[in-house]
Amino acid sequence: MLSVLRLVIFTWEFPPRIVGQLSHYVNRLAVELVRKGLDVYVITYHNSWTGFHEGMDGVKAYRISDPFRPHINILTWMLSLNQEVERVAADVYYSVKREVDLIDVHDWHFVPAAVSLKRAFKIPFVFAIDSLEDHRSHDSNAPLNLSIKTIESLGVNEANRIIVKSDWMKYEVNRRYRVPLEKIEVVSPDSSRWIDEILAVYKRELKVMAS
Amino acid sequence: MMLSWEFPPRTVGGISAHVYNLSRQLAGLGVDVYVVTCDFPGAPEHEELDGVHVVRVDSYKMPSPDFATWDYLMNVNMQKEASSIISSSDDDVDIIHAHDWLVANAAVGLKHIFRFPLVATIHSTEIGRRNGLHSDYERMIHRTENWLVHEAWKTICCSQYMSSQVRWAYGLSADGVMMIPNGVDASMFEENFNKPEFRSKFALPNEKIVIFVGRLVYEKGVQTLINAMPKVLARANAKFVVVGDGGMKDFLMRQVRNMGLAHKILFTGFLDEQSLRFLYRCADVCVVPSLYEPFGITALEAMAAKAPVVVSDTGGLAEIVEHDKTGVKVFAGNADSLAWGINRVLLDSGYAEWIKSNAYSGVQEVYNWKRIAVETKALYERIYREYEAGSWKPT
Repeated sequence: MLSVLRLVIFTWEFPPRIVGQLSHYVNRLAVELVRKGLDVYVITYHNSWTGFHEGMDGVKAYRISDPFRPHINILTWMLSLNQEVERVAADVYYSVKREVDLIDVHDWHFVPAAVSLKRAFKIPFVFAIDSLEDHRSHDSNAPLNLSIKTIESLGVNEANRIIVKSDWMKYEVNRRYRVPLEKIEVVSPDSSRWIDEILAVYKRELKVMAS
Repeated sequence: MMLSWEFPPRTVGGISAHVYNLSRQLAGLGVDVYVVTCDFPGAPEHEELDGVHVVRVDSYKMPSPDFATWDYLMNVNMQKEASSIISSSDDDVDIIHAHDWLVANAAVGLKHIFRFPLVATIHSTEIGRRNGLHSDYERMIHRTENWLVHEAWKTICCSQYMSSQVRWAYGLSADGVMMIPNGVDASMFEENFNKPEFRSKFALPNEKIVIFVGRLVYEKGVQTLINAMPKVLARANAKFVVVGDGGMKDFLMRQVRNMGLAHKILFTGFLDEQSLRFLYRCADVCVVPSLYEPFGITALEAMAAKAPVVVSDTGGLAEIVEHDKTGVKVFAGNADSLAWGINRVLLDSGYAEWIKSNAYSGVQEVYNWKRIAVETKALYERIYREYEAGSWKPT
């Protein structure tokens, strides 16, 4: 049994980079998890502020930037950023004597990195879905949207567990990606026991892995 | 572990044959070689080929916005499968070897995750293929190539010309680049066949055969060859056989019709490998009139098949051919010069005999896959020693 649970969070937005509400959500998650005694690393993107930064709140953040520019669409941009996420995640992994318990990836952007790391190091990952491409693009089946959906599909299939924020989203993920309902956990950010419920999902997953 | 977007039977350009020959010769030298490549209809997902473990991954078949985005998506699959293979194989992978930008994402990801040294072979560059960078699409591919060579421990180029281009294009230092030539397997051209019968499919018995092999795109210079036809035909009776396909095909066919020379040229389209090998052996001249040619494998194949070559004095071709000894060099993009070179060979059989026998022995000595594999293995070993001496290797 591990004494301290070590978690690495992948998110394409984290303060000070704010694209939508996800940034605030992940920040709150990371801070609360540190308070619960977890060792929390966040790997995120920033276009100019890169490197390691440990905040007063105890969250260890690594910010990566573009390995190259320009890009022709969000996919080529994100898919090349994934290699930087992998580089930093591997640095963390080797520096903590390979004792990373879990990866929590938020939305599709860094799913490929989570999948490769899972296959390489057998680190389980939780896929937290804030929004789906079908909702963002009004069910567009243009090639770019379809391609993003295949990344989401990769994420839901390869993830050990999926976390969503509402029952509605649970049924959406189930309906659109044919994921069994048992694989999807609903944890509402508005619940007073929110962080305990998140933690319970993590621990259940690790117990499944251990057995 | 080699990564390549093409491997036989999937053949798009020259990388497929390169990786096939290099990998099996390396296996012959006792290197445990994996090739991870794209799937192909009818080809197995896993196979052992002359000691090489070939793994074909799902090449991403959903619609994608464009070729580069497709390639990036294909890399997600490639890296995913390669990660599984590496973490489950008993004997460790020591080095990742990537061929061109098309596998850059997977290669760089694997390098960082497993901390293996990365070797990159750059077969051609975007800035060379396009003769400059004219859009964000081209700039992105250029920067992907740049990323790959800077992530690589060492970059291999197949000619001095490419080495200097790679150093210039990506600002690499001289010791970051190593020249190991491309090779050709001369024994492939020894198979028995009925030459007169095969030849009769392409030309009349009294016509000499002039062949061109390559994609029908501007940089391959087939338009220069067509412009040279009247001057060649004024002095020799010849049939021009153009093998390959490409965007310029309709334009070129219209051009020969307008010149009134449609009966002296044959566009065969894409030929199967065996027919192509036979055709090389029927050729009285093999012309490589490229405007841009990083290496020029067709010239090597012709030399190995004992066909006299007439080539543009450019890029890698300039290094392969020694003028008046192993072939004829002409000015690139100059139809008069090209016609002169072709006639020189067609009208002087003693000269043709001299260059083709010199070329054949030269090819066997220098562009020999076994020798190339020995050099590549030595490079792997050197890199591995440097890697082991450092502290980046995980403990």
